[in-house]
Amino acid sequence: MGTLDYIWAGVLAVFLGPELFSIFGVPVPVTIVMIFAGFLLGIAVGATPGLAGPIAMAIALPILISIFGYTPDALLPVMGFLIGVMKGATIGGAVPAILFNTPGTPDAYMTTLDGYPMTRKGQAKKALRVAHLSSVSGDTFSDMVLFICAPFLALLVEGYLDLPEKTALLILSLSFIAAVIGGSPAKGLISTGLGLLFAYVATGEDFYPRLSLDSKVLAQGFPLATAILGVLIVGAVFKELTDLWREKRESGALVGTVKDSGDQRLHMAEIRRLMPHIGRSAVIGTAIGALPGIGSTLAATIGYTVGKARYQRTKSPEEPEFGKGAPEGIAATEAANSSVSGANLIPVLSLGIPGNAAAVFLILAADSIGGFNPGPSVFRFTADAVNTELVIAFGLFTAMVVANVLNWTIGGVFMRSMGVMTRIPKQVLLPTVLLLTLTAIYVQETRMDAIWFTLGFGLLGYAMRVVAISPLPFVIAFILGGKLEESARQAFASTGGDPWFLFTHPIAAVFMALSVGVILLTARNNRARAARAST
Amino acid sequence: MKRLIRLGIATLVAAATATGALAAEWTPPGPIKLLIAFRAGGGADTQARLIAEELENRLGWKFIPEQVTGKGGMNMAAALKDMPNDGTVIGMAVTETFGYNMAAAPKSGMTPADFTGLSTTAGFQMGVVALTSKGWKSFDDVVAAAKGGEELRFGAMSPRLADLAYLLGKAQGVEFNIVSVKGGKAVMDGVNAGDLDLGFMAGIQAKGVAAGDLVNLASALSTPLVQTPQAPTFADLGVEFDSDGQFVFVGPAEMPAEARDALAKAIADVVSDENTKAGGLIKNNFGGATVVTGDDLTVLMQNGYESAGKLLDAASE
Repeated sequence: MGTLDYIWAGVLAVFLGPELFSIFGVPVPVTIVMIFAGFLLGIAVGATPGLAGPIAMAIALPILISIFGYTPDALLPVMGFLIGVMKGATIGGAVPAILFNTPGTPDAYMTTLDGYPMTRKGQAKKALRVAHLSSVSGDTFSDMVLFICAPFLALLVEGYLDLPEKTALLILSLSFIAAVIGGSPAKGLISTGLGLLFAYVATGEDFYPRLSLDSKVLAQGFPLATAILGVLIVGAVFKELTDLWREKRESGALVGTVKDSGDQRLHMAEIRRLMPHIGRSAVIGTAIGALPGIGSTLAATIGYTVGKARYQRTKSPEEPEFGKGAPEGIAATEAANSSVSGANLIPVLSLGIPGNAAAVFLILAADSIGGFNPGPSVFRFTADAVNTELVIAFGLFTAMVVANVLNWTIGGVFMRSMGVMTRIPKQVLLPTVLLLTLTAIYVQETRMDAIWFTLGFGLLGYAMRVVAISPLPFVIAFILGGKLEESARQAFASTGGDPWFLFTHPIAAVFMALSVGVILLTARNNRARAARAST
Repeated sequence: MKRLIRLGIATLVAAATATGALAAEWTPPGPIKLLIAFRAGGGADTQARLIAEELENRLGWKFIPEQVTGKGGMNMAAALKDMPNDGTVIGMAVTETFGYNMAAAPKSGMTPADFTGLSTTAGFQMGVVALTSKGWKSFDDVVAAAKGGEELRFGAMSPRLADLAYLLGKAQGVEFNIVSVKGGKAVMDGVNAGDLDLGFMAGIQAKGVAAGDLVNLASALSTPLVQTPQAPTFADLGVEFDSDGQFVFVGPAEMPAEARDALAKAIADVVSDENTKAGGLIKNNFGGATVVTGDDLTVLMQNGYESAGKLLDAASE
């Protein structure tokens, strides 16, 4: 079989697979139905604060497996559903960020910075259109890169990054984030440090739970969901509630919601202005997504930061700045975080290493069902015997294309229909969000301690917002903390116990130099800016 | 009609297992909380949940699965220890938790005597595995490569396996760079990505070995591997310890005999039946069920705990 035969076989596996039912004699294949169902569910959960794609995937996977069983036939329907959820959640995640200032997923945090001000200005629908256009463009671009590069790129990246280099790369990511988010590197480092501290409670290789103060409650550490949802969502809810309370005290009445006003459509000229931001962020997101272990949150952050720097040089004075309701800010963020998901599958499919939580569930599905063993063997174009795994891989690519078509056609309409939620008054909405979040946590963790942790992290997130420390470095550090320790331990062991492994490997040494450099440079720039401002 | 046939089969099965009548008399006084010591969604977690699901279908019992992960099963054991022992709380871990891990962590204050063994489900097919593309045909080739000055990275997913890797190197006169990773899946990822040269895999390698991508170089068991019987065992390679171990269901100490027997029999029946989802999974990954129950299991767990001390001593020499 040649390359084209494999691609065609993959397409056929989706469209001519087992049929679910037929309309007027035209059979409807089960895979297509599952992609569609997953897509709708994905938009809904993405748009619901506290519920994100991975949570929906986690709950759906056991149910799907019990329906479809453990035969290779089950692979495409189940993974198609998960891909649908992934794609839907990517565009859905922007909805609560724009409408309610509460990111449904951590990677949508940057979207709140410009999306919510636009809502306050009565331009909610327009903001959603910008988010949809950027998100789908970035996603489609990323998928095309995946289809073309998957076989080559991952092997190349893996070939050059050994364990010491991976450790150094994680340190570089953390220091970059600390430096660029939240205004000052010092505040960023405080946030990062706190994140690492909490991530290291009760983890590690010992049989004793470290830093747990001999308490049984802490012996399992802090679950990821409690820290992320607590700091990002519950913290934001607390802050919003106190702001609301203060506004009410000052004005004597609750403020109403803002009605949409002005032109809500996106014009060709505006799209032309957004395009460079979308393009740049799509490339950034795709490049980051191809690196195993670095997810969409970092992509969104870098896309936003780079876009902001470029925008400030080129914008005309009357246009709003980033953070004050600039459509370009939404475009830069959404294109970047959406373009991660396609490229993320490069290391997943060719090496079996997930780059984000959504990819983890695709691997789990492949792993539990069987017949598809993500690894270097997938992209072996055998001519004599049929490599069924390669057919499945191209089937998955086809599923992604189908999901993208759904995204371009009906995604926008469905996404904007979530705009109806903007009419719900805040004093009703905020407690609902809180309840949903806590329920999501309990569904996932099934113990009361998790709720207390979430509320505790919520207070921490509130306090950080009050003193203007960005909670985002905290969350990223919390996510990467375990990985950092693990890869550092492994790098140490694999180099035969060399304590200088970060500095004796040339690429790792360069990453370390960059880590220190980025902090010093940002601090100096900030000082220079402050000095200019005071004169 | 289908329902009639199913009813007929059910009656037949019930009649055939008349000896099971005693066990069937015990019914749990409430829903059974199942503490799972493995990450949600992984192979072991799936196994536990499928077994629970099949028990719900067969016997009408109600299960509430709950993840209590971390510290090689010790967190789960600590949570289970003080629970009521009437059969309403049970847990699933590996035998290593009650052997090596408890022996290595005396400060935890737990021994196998604090638990009641119910049933094992499957034994590990623990092999020393490398990529076929490495060109190693046998474990001798690995030793030759190490003696030729190559630094070899050996992946292990538990402290006990890290000890065994160290002793294996010692017995063969070479030194491995032993890298601890989390879970068998991580060893496979590392080997596939080239971060590790070889490592322990407990059954997860079956598909890769069948496809010709991976190769079992040695059996870390006291017996040869089902899939690659020609690979030498650890005893053949001069290591007097092995990594024999099973997935095991346990309850708190001193469970009443009828509860213990009923639960053990129910679990054993499900995993031994290859037509169930749980049984099929076990057949695929581990070549079939391994069922040890009752006093045999108590002895197995106690022996694992006692022999762990010797391994700890040998590895710290």
